[in-house]
Amino acid sequence: MSAPSFLLTGTLRPVTPADLGALAAWLPAQADAQLPTDPEAEHWLLLEGRPHPDAAAQALACLRLRPAIGLRTPRHWYHRGCVVQAAPSLGLFHQLHTLLLGNDLTGAAELADIAWDRRLPEPAQAQTLRQLLRASLDALSTLPGATGAVPGSRHIRLMVELPGVRDSAGRSPFWQGLGRHFYPADLPAGASPSRAHWRSQVATLLPRQPVHVCFLPPEAQAAIGQPDPSWLKLAQVLCELGLHPGQHVCIDDAGPVHEGWLHFSPTPGA
Amino acid sequence: MTNQACPTDEADAGHWASGRFVLRPAELSDLDALERMAADSAIGISSLQPDRQRLRQRLAHAVKSFASDDAASGEESYVFVLEDRARAGAVVGTSGIEASAGFHDRFYSYRNEFVVQVSPSLGARNRIHTLHLGHDLTGVSLLSGFHIDPAYADGPAPQLLSRGRLLFIAQHPERFADRIASENPGLADDTGRCPFWDAVGRRFFNMDYPSAEAAALGPGRSLIAELLPQSPIYVPLLPDEAQWALGQLHPVAELPFAILQDEGFEADTYLNIFDGGPTATASLALLRSVAGRRPYRWPLPPELATATAPMRLAANTQRQGFRATLARPGPALAPLLHLAPGDGVVLSCPCPEPI
Repeated sequence: MSAPSFLLTGTLRPVTPADLGALAAWLPAQADAQLPTDPEAEHWLLLEGRPHPDAAAQALACLRLRPAIGLRTPRHWYHRGCVVQAAPSLGLFHQLHTLLLGNDLTGAAELADIAWDRRLPEPAQAQTLRQLLRASLDALSTLPGATGAVPGSRHIRLMVELPGVRDSAGRSPFWQGLGRHFYPADLPAGASPSRAHWRSQVATLLPRQPVHVCFLPPEAQAAIGQPDPSWLKLAQVLCELGLHPGQHVCIDDAGPVHEGWLHFSPTPGA
Repeated sequence: MTNQACPTDEADAGHWASGRFVLRPAELSDLDALERMAADSAIGISSLQPDRQRLRQRLAHAVKSFASDDAASGEESYVFVLEDRARAGAVVGTSGIEASAGFHDRFYSYRNEFVVQVSPSLGARNRIHTLHLGHDLTGVSLLSGFHIDPAYADGPAPQLLSRGRLLFIAQHPERFADRIASENPGLADDTGRCPFWDAVGRRFFNMDYPSAEAAALGPGRSLIAELLPQSPIYVPLLPDEAQWALGQLHPVAELPFAILQDEGFEADTYLNIFDGGPTATASLALLRSVAGRRPYRWPLPPELATATAPMRLAANTQRQGFRATLARPGPALAPLLHLAPGDGVVLSCPCPEPI
């Protein structure tokens, strides 16, 4: 039977308490299921649509939209840098990669806790994600944002964190190779609600000077900027929409941070 | 170093016989002896390479340094040899001083630093050890090239060989810095494998330790240092083997290092950038043998030259004709130190306590 081509006409709307039961069917076990407490800091949005023409409207995907992060509780990332050291007379040329702890993306908008019904057929999952993200970007256009170079224009910096690589036992090779030397405990599993809070607490223990990547074990080096394989689909959709992996990674599992800028031209007649 | 008190019975004295050893400036005629000793050196950052041409140059430079009347520029280096008078003045040891470390460029070391980071909410506290690459020791005077024939390691010969040069520095302070340092070889095995080099330097050079050591002599050293990571190295990220090696001595260095520690050198701050060996530092004036110096005019006051007087470090006050020995104060010092009536003579500590 050939897969029918179908249109998902989804609508993006805030999550209400009545939706929680439906969401529980496909939200990951450790995911945050709390409604946002501060409407200015966070919006929990879901995409409602019909997976195929005969189906009832249902919650297909959700995410949390944060207009400006890190302005109350600091958020941290490692910035990926490069230092070149060369000595032509000795025939040596080295490109040394570094990780520097910092708060570069403070004030950016964030699309976080992206989740979707993975029981849907493959093509439908990608469609769902595209719809979810496009609608969220439209929602962002209503935010004040920063003033751009052209009078009346605005731009917003946008970032999306993806989970990093974990081994079969759920451990992060990057954390084992770096973070664990500074805080000797394993990472909390998966996307727990306390993850953001935990990261801001552990950041004060992490190295504050540039760390040379070559001092890390090979598995840790390989994990830098790599998304966990089950999130590759999302990574591809983000790239399609212009949000590419940038110069930053998460401080716990080195998951990639996709970054991009949204530019809003002045409205005619405004 | 064996626990051996100074014997007072001359008949059994052997190595401890008064005035058996004399420390003097090296001459060009000592080249064969130096080459023989250089060939016996273990692998390690050593200023005594078994390269006859280089040794000849080093000797020539030292002879010139001792002879020069001009105001010292800092370029000088001095080489001493230890004679065994019971074997017709055979040369059994050598030691040296570089007047100013890193004179032509900079002198690199790693400095140990500790940072304490806390997370009150997690109830965690970390004392993190980092290594900072720096040039703190540029311009200090550097003790170098200590080597003693193993047959003499247990007696007083190493004491004279090491401490005698401190008396030379104290006698001619205008030629040296106020601060003295001494690099000591770190852990490396016989095949030239060095855990600290493998963990740090090798990542940036892809050279094994013996090749790096060879490249490190002369101008290559600064070039190599400039290619090391300039931001601090986090010690917890190094392999365990390299962490243990920090500040550890190669076995050949234990004897000279023990003597320096007894003199008052401290070795907790600086490390050699290649093998992680401890670099000992001290203020010249506070060193035991220097603080214990007493100047006299020859002949010595009679109360010093008694039959039961302990052996002491003794030296004349000449430069080119410098002589030092470990001997009982008495008339025998005159031929040992080439003393004529009215000449300056310096006595320092009694025979060093067993370590």
